[in-house]
Amino acid sequence: MAERPVLASALREFLKGETERILGACTLCGKCVEVCPMTRYSLPTQGADPKTVVTGIHALLRGEQAGAPDALGWASVCVRSESCVPACPENVNPMMMVRIARMSASGGLGGKKQITLREDRDLYDRVRAFAKLNLTDEEIRNWM
Amino acid sequence: MGEKITFWYGCNVLRHGDIVHSCLDILKRLGYDAQPAGGPDYCCGSSKDANQQAADGMARRTVGRFNQIGRERVVAWCPSCHSHMTEFMGRAYQPDFGLGYFVDLLHDNLAALKPLLVHAVPMRVMLHRHVGFNDRVAVNDKVPELLRAIPGVEVVEDDYKAPGYMCSLLNAVPQAMTDMFRETVEHAKARGADAVVCIFHQCYRELLGLDAAGEVEVFNYVQLIARSMGLAHVDEYKQWKRAGKDAAAAIGEARVAQVGVQFFERAMLPELVKRPVGLAARNKKDPGGTPFDA
Repeated sequence: MAERPVLASALREFLKGETERILGACTLCGKCVEVCPMTRYSLPTQGADPKTVVTGIHALLRGEQAGAPDALGWASVCVRSESCVPACPENVNPMMMVRIARMSASGGLGGKKQITLREDRDLYDRVRAFAKLNLTDEEIRNWM
Repeated sequence: MGEKITFWYGCNVLRHGDIVHSCLDILKRLGYDAQPAGGPDYCCGSSKDANQQAADGMARRTVGRFNQIGRERVVAWCPSCHSHMTEFMGRAYQPDFGLGYFVDLLHDNLAALKPLLVHAVPMRVMLHRHVGFNDRVAVNDKVPELLRAIPGVEVVEDDYKAPGYMCSLLNAVPQAMTDMFRETVEHAKARGADAVVCIFHQCYRELLGLDAAGEVEVFNYVQLIARSMGLAHVDEYKQWKRAGKDAAAAIGEARVAQVGVQFFERAMLPELVKRPVGLAARNKKDPGGTPFDA
């Protein structure tokens, strides 16, 4: 296997590059909002102008700290249906756009926390506990 | 032995030992030399949107581990792991392996799989489908083809697709989860389905609430394939879920002690007791009864 340098923060760098690409490619047409099956579950997003919602998403991508409620609402209810991806005329990948906006709005990229995502503090301990119930000691040693 | 692959089963499927063991038996019977890898040390980090420092470390570690294993193909079971590798991890950290998905592997091997499906599983089933993920792997078409290869299985046609790509994300949007439960029951009953069959373990875990509440029986597709192949792994999670608040007795004192009684009661029992809102009360025999509300 070839040795090569691995940048410790390559994911952060990738997200930065994706953000720049999205902000450059998106024309704020709002088609991604129009086709989303989840907007009806966000009160501030219901009935909002799709172009305005995407404008708010762009602000989150730029790291602006006072997010618009309709954009924060949309980012909060995104469950990655991907209906927006084929709807985008600019091949932006709006699902990626909203995902990065969600990371930003939840403080995941270091900024202010504007939305709260579900955090399961027991996630990994619970997985290990179920593994103890379902796998042999040897399987745990060799598979995990 | 045939191709050497890494079978990346993920984290949360460890609730379902029968699914993990069945997948490995199926791979073996199809001639694959599969190295299982999963659990927290192989986490994709997709649940860490609010902590990208942690997600970055997980992505780097997991891609590095698979590179070290040195097998040319990693076959994912979990749609979250598959998506996160495709969208983020594999674009940030260079993988020395190709990524596949378990449904694709089975579908590619359908001709070899068919002769192994020897036992009839007489059942009229409705597939539980989602809108998402299907553009990456055509699971909504391929899983019915796999199911129809099982003698006795009839897959009913239905047009309902839940939002998202799997049910567990709907936990963050309770009304969407409630709507999904209601639509699933209505469609299954309208189609005269004996059972609802899930593609993903995350959906299976959530929809077992319907099973435990007595609304409709629920399976994962791999369980029906395994049954037809004569594999005898017991679905204990379904037993525990049906036992509800009596789950500790169903699991057994010694095994509960192994994970810690306090931890079991605080962090494991609540999901076994959880039932979909409004449905728990309809089944008086159900020992669960905690409505889904979070």
